[in-house]
Amino acid sequence: MPEHGDAAVVAPPAVGTDEWQPVIAAVICHWCTYAGADMAGTTRRVYPATVRPLRVPCTGRIDPLLIVKAFERGADGVLVSGCHPGDCHYVQGNMVARRRFIALRALMEFVGLDPRRLHFAWVSASEGVKWSQVVAEATAAVREAGSFQGWGTSGEPRRPAVRLPEVPAPPRGAPRIEDQQAVAAHLQRLAATLLDEGQVSAVVGYTAGSLDGQMVPAFVERSEDASTLAWSDRCVNNLAVYLPAASRQPGKVALVVKKCDAKAVVSLLQEAQVERERVVLIGVSCPGVTDTNGTLALKCYACDGEVPSVCDWTVTPAGAQPGAHPSGAARAVTDDPRDALVTFLASLPPADRWAYWQAQFAECLRCYGCRAVCPLCYCSVCVAEQNRPQWVPTTIDAKGNLTWNIARAMHLAGRCGGCDECARVCPADVRLDLLNHRVAMEIEQRFGYRSGEDPSAAPPLATFRPDDPQEFIR
Amino acid sequence: MTGWRLAGPDLTRWLEDLLRAGTRVIAPVEEDGRRVFKAVDAAARVCLLPGKTRWSPKEFVFPKTEALFSYVVQAGGVRLHAASVDPTEQVLFGVRPCDAAGLARLDATFLGGETDPLYARRRELTTVVSLVCAEAEPECFCTAVGGSPAGEDGSDLQLLPLDGGWLVRPLTPKGERLAAPLSGWAANASDEEWEQARASVRRVEESIRHSAVAQEWAALLESSFDSPVWEALGRRCLGCSICTYVCPSCSCFDVNDSGTVECGERCRSWDSCTFALFTRQASGHNPRPTQASRYRQRVLHKFAYFPQQHEGRFMCVGCGRCVKMCPVGMDVQEAVRMAVAASRGSGDAER
Amino acid sequence: MPSVDGERNPFQPNLVRIASAHDETPDVQTLQLEFLDPEAARQFRWEPGQFAEYSVFGVGESVLTVANSPTRAQHVECTLRAIGKVTRAIGALSVGQVLGLRGPYGNCFPVAQWRERNLVFVGGGIGMAALRAPLQFVLDKRADYGEILVLNGARSVADLVYKDEMNEWQAVDGVRVVRTVDPGGEAEGWDGEVGLIPSIFERLGLAPDGRVVIVCGPPVMLHYMFLALEKMGFTPDQVVTTLESKMKCGLGLCGRCNIGRSFVCREGPVYTWAQVRSLPEDS
Repeated sequence: MPEHGDAAVVAPPAVGTDEWQPVIAAVICHWCTYAGADMAGTTRRVYPATVRPLRVPCTGRIDPLLIVKAFERGADGVLVSGCHPGDCHYVQGNMVARRRFIALRALMEFVGLDPRRLHFAWVSASEGVKWSQVVAEATAAVREAGSFQGWGTSGEPRRPAVRLPEVPAPPRGAPRIEDQQAVAAHLQRLAATLLDEGQVSAVVGYTAGSLDGQMVPAFVERSEDASTLAWSDRCVNNLAVYLPAASRQPGKVALVVKKCDAKAVVSLLQEAQVERERVVLIGVSCPGVTDTNGTLALKCYACDGEVPSVCDWTVTPAGAQPGAHPSGAARAVTDDPRDALVTFLASLPPADRWAYWQAQFAECLRCYGCRAVCPLCYCSVCVAEQNRPQWVPTTIDAKGNLTWNIARAMHLAGRCGGCDECARVCPADVRLDLLNHRVAMEIEQRFGYRSGEDPSAAPPLATFRPDDPQEFIR
Repeated sequence: MTGWRLAGPDLTRWLEDLLRAGTRVIAPVEEDGRRVFKAVDAAARVCLLPGKTRWSPKEFVFPKTEALFSYVVQAGGVRLHAASVDPTEQVLFGVRPCDAAGLARLDATFLGGETDPLYARRRELTTVVSLVCAEAEPECFCTAVGGSPAGEDGSDLQLLPLDGGWLVRPLTPKGERLAAPLSGWAANASDEEWEQARASVRRVEESIRHSAVAQEWAALLESSFDSPVWEALGRRCLGCSICTYVCPSCSCFDVNDSGTVECGERCRSWDSCTFALFTRQASGHNPRPTQASRYRQRVLHKFAYFPQQHEGRFMCVGCGRCVKMCPVGMDVQEAVRMAVAASRGSGDAER
Repeated sequence: MPSVDGERNPFQPNLVRIASAHDETPDVQTLQLEFLDPEAARQFRWEPGQFAEYSVFGVGESVLTVANSPTRAQHVECTLRAIGKVTRAIGALSVGQVLGLRGPYGNCFPVAQWRERNLVFVGGGIGMAALRAPLQFVLDKRADYGEILVLNGARSVADLVYKDEMNEWQAVDGVRVVRTVDPGGEAEGWDGEVGLIPSIFERLGLAPDGRVVIVCGPPVMLHYMFLALEKMGFTPDQVVTTLESKMKCGLGLCGRCNIGRSFVCREGPVYTWAQVRSLPEDS
């Protein structure tokens, strides 16, 4: 088989030398940096000829996938540059971009991309000198990092296998069967009432599945069927995934939600995917969910299981009351173990981290189970399904899988509530929970924002503050 | 029955001999709490404990992605280079009978009317050593679809667990060739040992509680086409392809070009009828526009259409992985029963 | 010969060059293709109704009917609307550029069974492209067939395909061409019919009379055509169509075109109305 590189980004041989030259894709805005680069030329600045410009109208237009694709297509480094904040031709495009860069940079660093390969700068139309300096610095850094062969491969062979540390679960003990049965009975009664009174035309809850102890989603439309609703610590599904479609049916829908599920509902409300009046949220006081071995899910360690304020009903073993109320149950909680696991991975040398994630993504089957279970993946045509252009490679290999998983993590940035359904269903056990959690941590640290708490809050990547951090932008 | 009796270390010796001879041995390995088929470099890595791998070993004859040919387009013309298959012999070692039966279904699909040469070549290079089950898992239902924990379909050589060791039973000339070295040093299995192994299989069969899916149900499934039962089922299905990709017999694929207009490869990759765009035409018309219609297609293909094309054999082999791994617990057996009941209830045997 | 380790590789196409191209409408072209390899040209033998896989390397492959009759085998022709990724890429190629072509695949129109019968070809929009091969075939063997009626419709005058050829066909003895556009699709000077194809067909008031009706077009047109045909007393065996299902490999391997017990690329794409009715409705 002849080798196929990518004709678009292959470096031409340098004049008079066989030395390797880095190829740097520069995604730059038309009004400032492109003009600045032009000025660097017209003023005869001398600087390395390593940059391939991709001109966009504004940095606000920069889809993180453009940067990802540049690496996928063979760039050794990527440089992103635009107008200084306050100078954007479209007033605020670069401000929105700045937040997106923060999320992308955190994600790429976490995945183990050598930080010498990704650069950001503000370069104005009059800063020809700065442009030449920025390119020289980026080139030196990328040259040091070397030719980038590692995108979509398993990286260096024989890196030590990464073992994530065990994080002990809080001492909770198994929930009492009587409590679970009581909750089920209250849910059944409530559902029957809501249906009988015509308050809703459907109740989406849980029922027993085929396998022992398994719980699966249930759709109840007649009050006679309300007795099929059930509850246990195996009620893992985030039923909010059914909400966008359900809210397009006539009538209202009642949804049984745990605290983690309600976060997704809040995000859907923030994004106007469902009207609040069309949904009745039945919050259940939740002891935490377990798998077939009785192991508590990581997301539950730090969760008190209380019904969040957005809910219309609170169901506990004691009964069902309108509104959101404390359950009175005392549950042992610990710090979120995902913080510790993310911190552990982040402490590894980038090359080890890169090898870890490459190995993870190499196992990905592209079943899109992660997308299917996610309440926030509601696009009628997913970016992976678009073929003009083919953003996400169709090949099920490390290269295509890497692009897909980064794309999805970026699409969830600032939105993901950490229900970890994606990680639960993944046949290959890819640690999508940690990928999404890293981005959520960055969003919280930088902007003080936590997803899924306030339906009236503006999504963090859809807004900005003039004083947003930008210490990484030259 | 003829064959050999191996103790644990004997099996190790046999595997190590194979590896030394340069054969690629692909077997179940435990990795981070996940059991998957991988090429092994040492017999110690092989895991033959009860239980199935996460997904079937079909990727070793039907890769997730594979190049069909490569192309180079230049001003002087276009050059195409045929795909080639790595000529290394491979042994799929420790394949559950359901997964071997899945390979037999793939054979029916890829070696039937039009022979797929890439599949044919890989299959030719592959010897299947199946591992008879000592225990059934909760989701198993091979016996309900004409299979067995000791099924021979698709297998070249059987390993039957017995008292911490194994009986080895060749089923085909390929199996005999693979086991030939054993006749030099391994003990023959005795009649008692065969009987013990058979008794164990009977016990496992009895432990599988699912009742049979009848061959005659294919017609009833077809006549359930318009039943509202599919709407009810389709509502829960989320349209991922986990069921399809873990399944031993699913084989739908997409064909796409990877690379640029100057050079690259035309590849095929796993695809699934559960995806929304699977049957969407260029005009925008989609004959299966709802998840209900897509879920119905999957079930009917497994239990009605494939049997009609292949002498009544079910495409489903009863491994149960789809039931266990489905994010929302869709149960294909339950779907079949609901559809058949709906068909009978309506009294409408014809469309 | 394209091969995988010596076995014929059915996925690998032959190379063809665009000999000429004709714009039928702003987004529909007919291409005349010639094989680069004369041996491949000799081996490419097709029957009316079969399809082939046309590809642009680096973009992908698309299934299109072979749009000319084997009785006019100087070139292999295809008529395509630039509607998707691959067809747009094909549409952007120039005369002299190279495409991939493999086939022919599928079954064909049962032209032998049509002998001495009166034939009606009903083509809606780009569906007319699927009927050109069998129509050219029967015109080239004119004496073997009875009266021929061609009913062709499109959304508007601009969308009508084979405008010049329709006149040639009309000029053949015993051939009548009726063209229609959707209400609102008329242009100045339009002297054809105005109305949807099923209603124009009904208006023609043909007696079933052993006629064969060959119909191809968008799903909604087919649906109403079948209703009209039934109303007018045509039996399901008198009506033939070709299904435009999404296909990929064309070889009965990839599973995409599976409908019931049939693969459209293998048992089809030509089906009688009786056969279509026996297939599940997700077709």
